[in-house]
Amino acid sequence: MRKIETTLPTLLADIGAFYEARKWHFLSVNGIDLGEGKIELQWIFSRYGIKDEIVIYYALSDYTTPVPSVVSLIPSAFMGEREIVDMFGLTVEGALRGLYLDEDSLPHPLRGES
Amino acid sequence: MKKTIQIPLGSQHISLLEPIRFKFECENEKIIGVDADVGFVHRGVELACTRSFEFKQVGYVVARVCGLCAITHSLSYTLAVEKLLGYVANDRIKYLRMLMVELDRIHSHMLCLAHTAENAGFEALFMQIMADRELVMDLQEAISGNRVQFDFIAIGGVNRDLTPELSALIHKNLELLSDKIDTLLGLFDNNWSLSLKYKGVGVLTLDQAYTYNALGPLARAAGLATDVRVETSDFPYEALGYTMVLESTGDIHARNFVRLREILNSIAMCRNIVDNLPSGEIQEKTKGKPSGEAVVRVEAPRGELFYLVRGNGQNMLERVRIKTPTFSAIPAMMEVFKGSEYADAPAILASFDPCMSCTAK
Repeated sequence: MRKIETTLPTLLADIGAFYEARKWHFLSVNGIDLGEGKIELQWIFSRYGIKDEIVIYYALSDYTTPVPSVVSLIPSAFMGEREIVDMFGLTVEGALRGLYLDEDSLPHPLRGES
Repeated sequence: MKKTIQIPLGSQHISLLEPIRFKFECENEKIIGVDADVGFVHRGVELACTRSFEFKQVGYVVARVCGLCAITHSLSYTLAVEKLLGYVANDRIKYLRMLMVELDRIHSHMLCLAHTAENAGFEALFMQIMADRELVMDLQEAISGNRVQFDFIAIGGVNRDLTPELSALIHKNLELLSDKIDTLLGLFDNNWSLSLKYKGVGVLTLDQAYTYNALGPLARAAGLATDVRVETSDFPYEALGYTMVLESTGDIHARNFVRLREILNSIAMCRNIVDNLPSGEIQEKTKGKPSGEAVVRVEAPRGELFYLVRGNGQNMLERVRIKTPTFSAIPAMMEVFKGSEYADAPAILASFDPCMSCTAK
């Protein structure tokens, strides 16, 4: 597993330079609450046909900064983006709340203070 | 601009086993747009894994994410925690885990095939496949103690061993099943109803498979050569006779055929596992508490199941991320629906073998 740090402003450029649809399988968007209003965001890839090759791009952020969408690069990413909007209460460009949660659900269940 | 109408499919529908709602935008009978609502059975499993249960209990929690592929959930989680503990299972444990995962694949594929037959109006075949599937369900029950929700895998090993009587039963049932699958292969290929209904219907092209990150039988039916069993080194699949099953047409017929041929391959691997089971303990002691971050991929019946586990040396984990195969397959599913006839939508959906319990977790 290889972890590569990125930032939200450079995310699209970094993933755009890295991602080739016929080489890399996009696994998931993930968030990990770090406490004190901080979150680690991850974009995870595996390599087709190669054993154990996982690449994770990660960016440290807070909960108020909007997260850029990678759907223009990876069309299937919209599901994962909607999931982190629900679970962490983040704002992701173009991603609506309500994939899992209802109006009366916890607002962002996987945030540390929830 | 032509007039369009919106037609829903689900959340409750005669063709659905589990709740999902598609909202189709149709021009006459043709689907031109689709939206999916997948969250009907969200249970907050990821939250429970980090707030309500200690790491030794979480394996039994994640086995409840899904009744069909419980074993792959508990295996993925267990492998991740074992990596964080620095533990590597002995070969006997690995073989026993592989045996249960492959039996699980067989029964899950058969359920999908039965449901696919039902969607073609072939009720008798549906019942025949479900009856044949009992051969595998009986094996799972005999080995693990349960037909479903089998808590067979634990951190540091497995909870039950194979006896000579069980090995003989596995051989007997799998031999019977193998003959039945051979018959099904002919039926799914040559039967007029199944061929007419499924050949050329619900096509996912190879380009779409790459673009929308298709996985599992859905990808392999489109010719995309990907299978976690050969993309990870956690288990010796190649040594036990694994062969990747690929089709190229990407239609419902191809997906059926990938599943049928994968069943035969899984049967062969299960026989090899039983015949070559290494000696060793089935439970080994592990020390410490999980610290750090581990990722695990396991090929579940519907494709890649992904777990990311992060611990900080305490009993409670910091994060358990579960990414299930159906969740990842939904973008590809939505593309396949576009351009299809609305009347084919239930059959196309069944051919994806969707598991909403996994997806909504």
